[in-house]
Amino acid sequence: MVPQTGSCLLSMTAASFGYGKQEVIGGASIAIEPAEFIAVMGPNGSGKTTLMRGVLGLLEARSGRVDRGDTRLGYVPQRESLDRLYPLTVLEVVRMGAFGRLRHWRTKSRGDENLCLQMLERVGLEGAHSKPFSSLSGGQRQRVLMARALVMQPQLLVLDEPTSGVDQAAAEGIRDLLLSMVREEGLAILLVSHQLEFVRTCASRALWVEGGRVTEKSKESLLQNGSVEALLAAGKKAAKEGIQA
Amino acid sequence: MEVEWSLVWEIFPLSILAALLAGLVCPQVGNFLFLRRTGFYGVALPQFAACGVAFGFAIMPWWVAHVGIGGLDLDTALEDTHAAVNYHMAWAGVFTFGGLGILYLFGQKPGSEAARIAAAFALASAGTILFAHASPTGEIFVHELLRGSILVIGLHEFETLAVAFGFVALAMWWFQRGLLLVSFDPDTARVLGLGVRRYEALLVVLIGLTVTIGSLTVGPVVLFALLVLPPLAASHLARSLRSFRWISSLIGLGSAALGLQLSFAFDLPLGPTIVAGAGILLGLSLLPFLSLGKSRT
Repeated sequence: MVPQTGSCLLSMTAASFGYGKQEVIGGASIAIEPAEFIAVMGPNGSGKTTLMRGVLGLLEARSGRVDRGDTRLGYVPQRESLDRLYPLTVLEVVRMGAFGRLRHWRTKSRGDENLCLQMLERVGLEGAHSKPFSSLSGGQRQRVLMARALVMQPQLLVLDEPTSGVDQAAAEGIRDLLLSMVREEGLAILLVSHQLEFVRTCASRALWVEGGRVTEKSKESLLQNGSVEALLAAGKKAAKEGIQA
Repeated sequence: MEVEWSLVWEIFPLSILAALLAGLVCPQVGNFLFLRRTGFYGVALPQFAACGVAFGFAIMPWWVAHVGIGGLDLDTALEDTHAAVNYHMAWAGVFTFGGLGILYLFGQKPGSEAARIAAAFALASAGTILFAHASPTGEIFVHELLRGSILVIGLHEFETLAVAFGFVALAMWWFQRGLLLVSFDPDTARVLGLGVRRYEALLVVLIGLTVTIGSLTVGPVVLFALLVLPPLAASHLARSLRSFRWISSLIGLGSAALGLQLSFAFDLPLGPTIVAGAGILLGLSLLPFLSLGKSRT
């Protein structure tokens, strides 16, 4: 049963998602409230990304219901999904967050320009606005994408593996930034991650995706060493065997 | 050799304007082909347009007899520039958009896109020669088209080019934000509520229109050079997307100007000299990297 309150940012009731004839996620029920930090975990190929796409509205629910109301969504994609061939500056990338608010021919407004610079400062990249986006390190590019998502002025921020492939210090910086957004601004965060340690230190609850089913795990169960690692390891092994087969 | 530009302008004003206009606008479309890593489209699609023109010539006798071209008989239709240009543009358009559609449909299937486009180019090239062979007039016309004989451009062709390229440039500027985000990060575009399919369709229309009209006026060789070389050169020099757009159009314009100079100074066909001009500017764009001993992808 999905908990429903007046402040619910997103509720998903018995929703299923898939591609073509294949159903990847079935009967998922989630409710997301302000200032929640939710991690989505599970083995490779379990449907985490499909669930995230369903939350964002990038995939229509085949059955069930997804109610986003007037919730403003922000999205931070995996930085490797963005082509580095584009000769974009950091500011040109961050400005994209305001594209939904601008008239057709405009690429910036004075108010949004200030907001972009503020958000760059917020993510610790003040003074980097004219640098080429493609020349930044993985962690810095991730921060730029977070600044862009914040320019969307979201109530719910969805992140796809934000610390994948970044060094320990950069991952800690991203974690601290996300936690401050939740605590200081009441932003709700839904984060897809493989990194258990990262999730343990910041998520208030976790969704476990496996075999097309979404189940909720408490923070306490995440703190119990062994159980989740074993499941992740089993998932990795199964994926490896699948590739070899 | 010195060129008497006042005399050249008096004789070939439309050709000069057409070359400069193509130099200015084609790179704006080419920028998207380059950034989306679909630069091969810039090579294959003009060949589809040429194939369409050749096909139009091959079936012209049947078309005049059964459908009609403005009520003209075959000989008059071949002589009447206005009707003939419209007829050829229609066929160039059918083949260009048909080619785009086929490449899009096959693009959904797994496999090498570069190989698919290369195969499409080979088939379109063979089709151009075979269809042109079926019509002696068509063979001469297609040969001139492939040579890039911009000097023989007529008023109706120039007017069509000006209107079409003006529309393309305006649409590129008006919808720049959506076209950029949909190309760079379609998922975020959807989250922001931008109609990704609408923008993709718009881009296909703008590419198709540029190729259709450009192929018939400045010729396929000049067209694909202006679609591909200026963005490639600009990518070596630009420090931002804004400067990339400006630099690619300036290089396109410079290529046309350099081509005009070379053509009139050495009495060479204009189309290939524009391509040579673009090649020279591409080479120059690499100089800063060669001198610094570094390369960029």
